Amino acid sequence: MIRFENVSKTYKNGTPALRNVTLDIEKGEFVFLVGASGSGKTTFLRLLLREETPDVGRILEAGRDIGDLPKWRVPYLRRNIGCVFQDFRLLPNKSVFENVAFALEVIGRPRSTVESQVPQILELVGLADKAKNLPHELSGGEQQRVAVARAFVNRPLILLADEPTGNLDPANSESIMALLERINRTGTTVVMATHDKALVDRMRRRVVELDRGEIVRDQVRGVYGIDEGVAI
Amino acid sequence: MRVYLRYAFKETFTNLWRNRMMTVAAVLTVAVSLSLVGSALLLKQSAAQASAQWQQGTRVTIWMQPNASQSEINSVKAQLASMPIVKDCQYFTQAQDYQQAKTLLPADEWSVLTPSATPSSFRCVPSVPTDAFTVQSTFTNQPGVYQVTAPEQQIRQMNHAIRILQIVFLALAAVLLLSATVLILNTIRMAIFSRRREVSVMKLVGATNWFIRVPFITEGFIEGLLGSAVAILAVTALHTWYPLHNEFALNASALVGTNTVVLVVGVVIGSVGSAIAIRRFLDV
Repeated sequence: MIRFENVSKTYKNGTPALRNVTLDIEKGEFVFLVGASGSGKTTFLRLLLREETPDVGRILEAGRDIGDLPKWRVPYLRRNIGCVFQDFRLLPNKSVFENVAFALEVIGRPRSTVESQVPQILELVGLADKAKNLPHELSGGEQQRVAVARAFVNRPLILLADEPTGNLDPANSESIMALLERINRTGTTVVMATHDKALVDRMRRRVVELDRGEIVRDQVRGVYGIDEGVAI
Repeated sequence: MRVYLRYAFKETFTNLWRNRMMTVAAVLTVAVSLSLVGSALLLKQSAAQASAQWQQGTRVTIWMQPNASQSEINSVKAQLASMPIVKDCQYFTQAQDYQQAKTLLPADEWSVLTPSATPSSFRCVPSVPTDAFTVQSTFTNQPGVYQVTAPEQQIRQMNHAIRILQIVFLALAAVLLLSATVLILNTIRMAIFSRRREVSVMKLVGATNWFIRVPFITEGFIEGLLGSAVAILAVTALHTWYPLHNEFALNASALVGTNTVVLVVGVVIGSVGSAIAIRRFLDV
């Protein structure tokens, strides 16, 4: 589903963000991306969205080299990738329903699709009864579930999550993880960048660790850090 | 497509309403500048038409003193008859001029006039329009002659004045059109800024670039359109009620032509302003 071939990326100010990264992610996999701040996790995700292009190497998604994509095709690439962020990025003046519907409306889906898909996805994330609320009337965990609903409503092949639990308490983090797992079980590939050690350790999924732009570890049923138990 | 049209329409009017003060400023600036453009065009056309009309029947009128003696009148008459450049001459007696004054002048003006105080006149047509000046200079200051008028000269002076007026109008219009474009650019920039969250979400979920751009372009387009609509009303009003209307009568097609220019310029300004704003401030 996702393939990085010897990808390197250096930002204009000279900071190397990724160094010779080669990685394969199969369809339907659940991958944790771990590492300290500045280790290249966010760059990895931005490359997948083609917000950046690699200096060296190729990135393939669904068998296609996304570097070859003309600029006007990029929006169509993004329709296959859902995105969730630490800061939710909901529209404050739109209701829960409208926030989710917006993602379908702006890619030109007809009203009938919007009206059938949005309630369904709100049901899935457990917010059917909050459809008319505005984001500020919800808790952080609920807001993030709206964001997940928005990312998933178009049934993308890939779901990217950049520290989705970074602003949440453990209970809410737990419910977001449960949601992402559920989405993963429908066959969606999930890539999640995180600092949440407890979460990664409990999930026992594939863990890719980045350090200063290089992959230093790729474990099939991994934990957050190999030095676990030594620290503190 | 229908979904999109509804979306673009809604977004456009939300933006216009949200920044309504800026919208009003932009629309009014477009309106004022285009009114000037329209007026300059109308002036140019009516001046051209008026001089064409006057050229055909260029006349020189020699007004005699009301108390001119018969011999003075006769000498002028004889002199006119002997001039080859004068094609045709007609003598209007004091009584005839008085009658004409009655029809031309307002009641309170001709009522103080008496036939004996009215000058008699020779109305002459020179064979070549420009000869009017020769006739004028020959008879001015002759005994018994009160005044020699040649409309050609007035027209020429008026044309000159109109040309200056036109240049002033167009220069003002150029400055105002520039500021109108900048104002539209600024309203679009504000609209882009106030919708930056929406725009970033749209980019994230894969809205196409044109989908994101079009509402901002239509916003500028509509501002230009509204401005030119107001200008068209102003130009039409000017054409209908301007006091020179009768003398400078223009047909409807000249008005339609002028208004078309006004409309096109307005729409172009709106589109150019928003296109620049989108290029510079909307990162898609």
